[in-house]
Amino acid sequence: MDLADHAERPANRGPRFFGLSGGNLVSPAAVVCGLLIWEVAARNFIDPFFLPSVSAIFAGAVELHQQGLLLKHVSISLTRILVGWALGSLVAIPIGLMVGSFMTAKRIIDPYIHFLRFIPAIALVTLFIVWFGVGELSKILLVMYATSFIVMINTATGVVTIHQNKKLAAQTFGASVMQIFWRVTVPAAMPSIYVGMRLALASSFLVIVAVEMLAAESGLGFLIWTSKLYFKIDWMFVGIFLLGFFGLLTDYAWKMVGKHAIGRYVRASAKY
Amino acid sequence: MTIAMESIAFAYDAPIGRPKPLILSDIDLEIQDGEYLVLVGPSGCGKSTLLRLIAGFDQATSGSLKIDGAPVKGPGRDRGMVFQDLESSLYEWLTVGENVEFGLRVSGVPRAEREVRREEALRMVNLLNHVRKYPDELSGGMKQRVQIARMLAMRPSIMLMDEPFASLDAQTRHMLQNQMVSIWTEIGGTAVYVTHDIREALNLGQRIVLMSAGPAAGIKHIYDVPMPYPRRQSDPIYIELLERISGDIEEEVIKVWI
Ligand SMILES: Nc1ncnc2c1ncn2[C@@H]1O[C@H](COP(=O)(O)OP(=O)(O)OP(=O)(O)O)[C@@H](O)[C@H]1O
Ligand SMILES: [Mg+2]
Repeated sequence: MDLADHAERPANRGPRFFGLSGGNLVSPAAVVCGLLIWEVAARNFIDPFFLPSVSAIFAGAVELHQQGLLLKHVSISLTRILVGWALGSLVAIPIGLMVGSFMTAKRIIDPYIHFLRFIPAIALVTLFIVWFGVGELSKILLVMYATSFIVMINTATGVVTIHQNKKLAAQTFGASVMQIFWRVTVPAAMPSIYVGMRLALASSFLVIVAVEMLAAESGLGFLIWTSKLYFKIDWMFVGIFLLGFFGLLTDYAWKMVGKHAIGRYVRASAKY
Repeated sequence: MTIAMESIAFAYDAPIGRPKPLILSDIDLEIQDGEYLVLVGPSGCGKSTLLRLIAGFDQATSGSLKIDGAPVKGPGRDRGMVFQDLESSLYEWLTVGENVEFGLRVSGVPRAEREVRREEALRMVNLLNHVRKYPDELSGGMKQRVQIARMLAMRPSIMLMDEPFASLDAQTRHMLQNQMVSIWTEIGGTAVYVTHDIREALNLGQRIVLMSAGPAAGIKHIYDVPMPYPRRQSDPIYIELLERISGDIEEEVIKVWI
């Protein structure tokens, strides 16, 4: 028997109940406990206008849904986030690869990257609306702007930290510059690209909410902002909760992409 | 292929304003076609550096390095390398089998032949049972054997090996030394092999080059090893050489530590 096979088995996960192992139950149990404490505390000791109970928030969500607003705000925000994030990464990855690989590209592009990345997307909201109108374009461009620098920097860092021996080995195999780029540089930079995109995803949530609060008629940011005007504190909490929830969900989805679709490239980084 | 080095000196690049100490100086060495040459010397003297020069990763600061009469300008398919560092040169996104095939792929070797050569190379280093593992699932010695296998698959005329058996147990190491000799006899290339183990040097080398302690290391002595393979440790020549080389290395090591 091969000893190394043992290493692939996960460590002892404790007792199993109904097919679920003990380890898998800890997180759901912690969440349920937290919600219960919240509910009890909110009902008995806290002013509902300060912090509504879980059930009140749930009722608020149902109400929003009945008015047809819930799905509308969620889907518009998620669309802006995902489209902006995907397009932003699509632009950023090639630039990051170039900057990391070629000194000349680095010299030309670097000043722009390091100047622009310190200008927060939020500072550009009004300008982008003047330039690109009040429609979806300006919002998606702002998300692209916010995500692309994170992805760019991570990609370029990934490229420059590739161990020289990988490229030297490829040279002893007679690999051309292009072959080294596609078969060594790109796959070796994948973990950094992957992590960069994961961080950028969180930033795109940040940006879109700010944009929707400042200049939109829809989206979760808009919902949170306007519920204050109607004294609908429970709606505000619905919006806040949904941001966390969809953040968690998209992050989890990205983790699954890492584990299954591009698993071989991000073996280590997809573990957390 | 013959490797000819004439009064080679080498210093690594340093930031402007910092001194560039000579690592190697005055290296004169001619390695014959098909020869098995072993490099020994105290740690840090420049064995790996010399190997990098032959591989073409770095250029000599002065002097000339020629292979079959042509100056070495960079790395090439004729020279394979087993890096001293266990894993930095392996492709962690490729399995053992794919790592071994990597060189064949970029060289455009057709699939059927790739498979044959991969199997052959993996058999030589006894890794056939681990083809599907990724480098992070291997032990140090296994990683080193993957490096050897992917070099062998390319069938280079010159094999440059930097302490490839350093992280193996004595038994496995001895087996692989024998294996190494038979591979080398079979494919008939030139081998330049770095080790710090004098017995290993005696088991493998036709000539053993002892380098002097750095900085500006040179060649202290070259020993001929007039014994047939497999080498017997009880052979009087073996015993005599072992003693002489040990004494000479000690002399060099002491210089560094005083
Ligand atoms: N990339 C580098 N830049 C600058 N100096 C280096 C570099 N690599 C090695 N050196 C220096 O060159 C000298 C020789 O190093 P080298 O790695 O060739 O020694 P070695 O004989 O292979 O040692 P060991 O037996 O420990 O592997 C050392 O003084 C080391 O500090
Ligand atoms: Mg070395």
